[in-house]
Amino acid sequence: MWKVTRKGLRAHKLRFALTALAVLLGVAFMSGTMVLTDTIRKTFDDLFADIRDGTDAYVRSSEAIESDFGPTQRGRISADLLPEIEDVDGVEAAEGEIQFYAQFVGKDGDTLGNPEQGPPTFGSNWNEVPELNPWGLEPGGSAPETADQVVMDKKSADDGGFEVGDRVTVLTQNPPREYEVAGIVKFGSADSPAGASVALFETEEAQRITDAVGEFGAISVVGDSGVSEQELVGRIRDVISDPQVEVLTGEEITAEDQDEIQDALQFISIPLFVFAGIALLVGAFIIFNTFSIVVAQRTREMALLRAIGASQRQVTTSILLESLVVGVFASLVGLAVGVGLSVLLKAALSSFGFDIPSSGIVVTTTAVVVSLVIGTVMTLVSAVVPAWRGARVPPIAAIRDVALQQGTRVIRRSVIGGTVFVVGVTGILLGLFGDVDNGIYAVALGALLVFIGATVLGPVFARRSSQIIGWPVAHLRGVTGNLARENAMRNPQRTSATAAALMIGVAIVGFFTVFASSLKASVNAQVDRAFTADFVISTGGFGGATGFSPDLAEQVADLPEVGDSTPLRFGQATIDGDDDFVVGLDPQTAEDLFDLDPRQGEVSELTPDGIAVSTKAAGDNDWEIGSRIPVQFPNGERTLTVQATYGVGLREGLSDFAVSIDGFALGYPENLDNQIYVTLASGVTPDEGRAALEQVTEPYPQAEVQDSTEFKESFSAMVNQILGLVYVLLFLAVLIALIGIANTLALSVYERTRELGLLRAVGMTRRQLRSSVRWEAVIIAILGTLIGLAIGVFFGWAVIRALRDEGFEKFAPSAGQLVTIVIAAGLAGVVAALFPARRAAKLNVLEAITTE
Amino acid sequence: MSVLTQPQPASQTGVAARAVAASKIYGSGETAVRALDDIDVEFQTSHYTAIMGPSGSGKSTLLHCLAGLDRVTSGRVFLGDVEISASSEKELTLIRRDKVGFIFQAYNLIPTLNALENVVLPMALAGRKPDQQWLDTVIDTVNLRDRLQHRPSELSGGQQQRVAVARALASRPEIIFADEPTGNLDSKSGAEILEFMQSAVRDLEQTIVMVTHDPVAAGYADRVVFLADGTIDGEMAEPSAEKVIDRMKALGA
Repeated sequence: MWKVTRKGLRAHKLRFALTALAVLLGVAFMSGTMVLTDTIRKTFDDLFADIRDGTDAYVRSSEAIESDFGPTQRGRISADLLPEIEDVDGVEAAEGEIQFYAQFVGKDGDTLGNPEQGPPTFGSNWNEVPELNPWGLEPGGSAPETADQVVMDKKSADDGGFEVGDRVTVLTQNPPREYEVAGIVKFGSADSPAGASVALFETEEAQRITDAVGEFGAISVVGDSGVSEQELVGRIRDVISDPQVEVLTGEEITAEDQDEIQDALQFISIPLFVFAGIALLVGAFIIFNTFSIVVAQRTREMALLRAIGASQRQVTTSILLESLVVGVFASLVGLAVGVGLSVLLKAALSSFGFDIPSSGIVVTTTAVVVSLVIGTVMTLVSAVVPAWRGARVPPIAAIRDVALQQGTRVIRRSVIGGTVFVVGVTGILLGLFGDVDNGIYAVALGALLVFIGATVLGPVFARRSSQIIGWPVAHLRGVTGNLARENAMRNPQRTSATAAALMIGVAIVGFFTVFASSLKASVNAQVDRAFTADFVISTGGFGGATGFSPDLAEQVADLPEVGDSTPLRFGQATIDGDDDFVVGLDPQTAEDLFDLDPRQGEVSELTPDGIAVSTKAAGDNDWEIGSRIPVQFPNGERTLTVQATYGVGLREGLSDFAVSIDGFALGYPENLDNQIYVTLASGVTPDEGRAALEQVTEPYPQAEVQDSTEFKESFSAMVNQILGLVYVLLFLAVLIALIGIANTLALSVYERTRELGLLRAVGMTRRQLRSSVRWEAVIIAILGTLIGLAIGVFFGWAVIRALRDEGFEKFAPSAGQLVTIVIAAGLAGVVAALFPARRAAKLNVLEAITTE
Repeated sequence: MSVLTQPQPASQTGVAARAVAASKIYGSGETAVRALDDIDVEFQTSHYTAIMGPSGSGKSTLLHCLAGLDRVTSGRVFLGDVEISASSEKELTLIRRDKVGFIFQAYNLIPTLNALENVVLPMALAGRKPDQQWLDTVIDTVNLRDRLQHRPSELSGGQQQRVAVARALASRPEIIFADEPTGNLDSKSGAEILEFMQSAVRDLEQTIVMVTHDPVAAGYADRVVFLADGTIDGEMAEPSAEKVIDRMKALGA
């Protein structure tokens, strides 16, 4: 049987290659993702191992808030702990450290590095203990010794063209200030750790900058040799009485740093794995389809094998063997391609702003094994049903034409497919709207079932659908179009399976497109409603990764051109046990700019110990004026009193929780505003207002002045950027589906050799023949696209509705975008048909009509 | 190109197709096979000619070369006044579409098209409207009126061949080539087809060249051309099945 398999493969090199390609691409994506994440992880693991190399114990606050969007935010500890720790027996040296937002301004007035889109920019203090200081000074420089000096990382210095002795402006939570560059440092052999921009100050200046005189973020300790980390930690713990301070070993803090990076990496790796999974799923459809067609075409061969004595099992085995060879070959090549792809993925990520530094490429055994196993097993499993069908070919088929197309059992198909489809839809709805744990899994499983259900149902309506989709083709393109339509209709099972592969990718494209346009529409509606301001000053991003000094808000308020203005801050806090989004606002001025729809109490009288909550949050939690709520901030837990309620909650585009700026400053280590809203004084034109604002923000290059249109546009731009990334990731799934269309058509062309010969004999030109194959591909592609879009729009609708309370108020699919997708799919069909059409047109007429 | 797409009256010379010193050689050197060896032959318009000969005599090759499906290795082939041995592949396609009708032994029809669509296929490919009156005549001649909307799979073998005959006639080609048109049919259906072809020549003034090895089929023709080993081996006017059988016996075939 092995011989039959081998001969079969050799006789159909092309089919083999196309099928393998479908698996190969999915495996490549999967292994590429693994290699990429392993590489990044290794880079950071090494980085932290280096940074913490000399650290034997680590003392810090136990108060922390884990953020969904960034590193854990943690409170500070008293600097008085330092001398106490230094006195502990076994401590060789200890030094406090503090980290904060800081950004260099280049000589062109622009910031160096943008933490909204890339590696962080931060400031820290120069550590005097050599074992604890990972920085190495370049020749000619020195450590910062006065409050007027700063040390720059070499990358920032090179990017900005700074040298020792230059003056450089640094942005912090204080007004911008110039420092003298005392030294330039490298991080080990790297110019900067992971591409971050680092400003190192003398310790007291660092404390002053971040308003932390007498405080540290943490204290690192070097122990005497001979004292174990555990023992050292135990001794330090004994001298610390503050329950809000914790002590970790060097090993623990290193592992924690590494874990945190791993978590942050999931932000990139999980979507990549999901999209790789989609690509593999599409590949599975294609393998299934290809093997089904091949079995159908080889009916006679199978029957002959059976007639001369091969058992059913031997036939099954021969087909499975063929799929095994395809799977192993494709997985091996896919793995190799994946390693190359990881380099490309890295470049793609960096072009979208996620710049990842790295040394060499890391290929782990796990990555190799997982890629090979997944690729091979998936191929085998996809071939099981066709192999089983092949074995059922009766020996009699060798001598007689037996209708193997066991008639599409419409009723059975409808029942099974319909049931799976409905269960899938139910799963999605339950996961989104129901009170289910792990709703995301219900949604994912539901989506998979919807795809499978649609695929099973496919043949039931593929004939009719192709007929309708092909109607304009048949009527506009004459007999060529009519033949294309009839060919698309003639084998509904094949057509629908081919279309189904495309359906998956398109459904997801459709979902994201609808989701993005709804998101934009929702935000625009909120901006239109809430944006009574003429201008907003922000850092341009929406993640709140940076901000600007509160001094800017004061300067803006003092401008004669400005009528009203108010700053806003955004943060995360755990409120009564739930992680929530909190705004910090200026009670005196907020209501000049925002219509908060006040209900009870006065927002303007909010004290630092008070909190204002939306009527929705109040209703959900049975809070009323005077209720006391425990709120966990990074700096520690505080109990706040409900002092006001208002109508404009998260659902309406603001937040369910608001505290005063002073209260916000008590809760968070950084004292930075994220946005300032401005209305102009009467009589001031928008141009004059903008000129005045731009002048005052000039020393703050991270601050951008935008009117409401620009604000909306910059939001749209951000959404489009993410959407662009999603499209890039889905491109592969769609590409694989197109290979599937090409494969099916190539097999169909082969099957119709005689018919094509006849057409050519009676006068069909090559051009007409090519056109006919192309239109067939277009019909199949559009069929898959329409089903996919229907499913995608449904997904979009369901998700948007489920997020109603998070402010997604509009379900706004854009007809233009959807039509564009359909047209693009049609064009993609044309591309997919290029090769099979060429092949069809090249047939030798005489040979074709004399083929058996 | 318009010359090719317009249906033309039969050539003035009365010759619908001819081969001049036509040779067809497969392979080269020691293994070369001469399928056609320096053949000169003419086919009159409005005549029904049968080409006969034993297997391997080159009769199918001659038909393919005359019909523009294959090319001669040397010599010249004319359809009407057009030298098809000098035509490009693209021109040949258009000549086949506009000037030639085909009836093959089997698989004559496109399975996805119904009978009527199959009949008008060459004209549809040319983007021409069929001459309705002529089309009606053809359809009635082959007695297909009530089967026009049926797909090939819903027709019997004889009916399928009738559709093929109708297709060959429908575009009123200058010449129709038939390759063993009754080879796959029982004798009753075969006789029916042969009668239709005969009446197409006698009543509708069409020109047919038919390859066959069946003396009965040849008996329907106006003239039989005999082929042996790639050369013309005589011909017979006003043949009958008996005369053809006698002749074949004499050839030792």
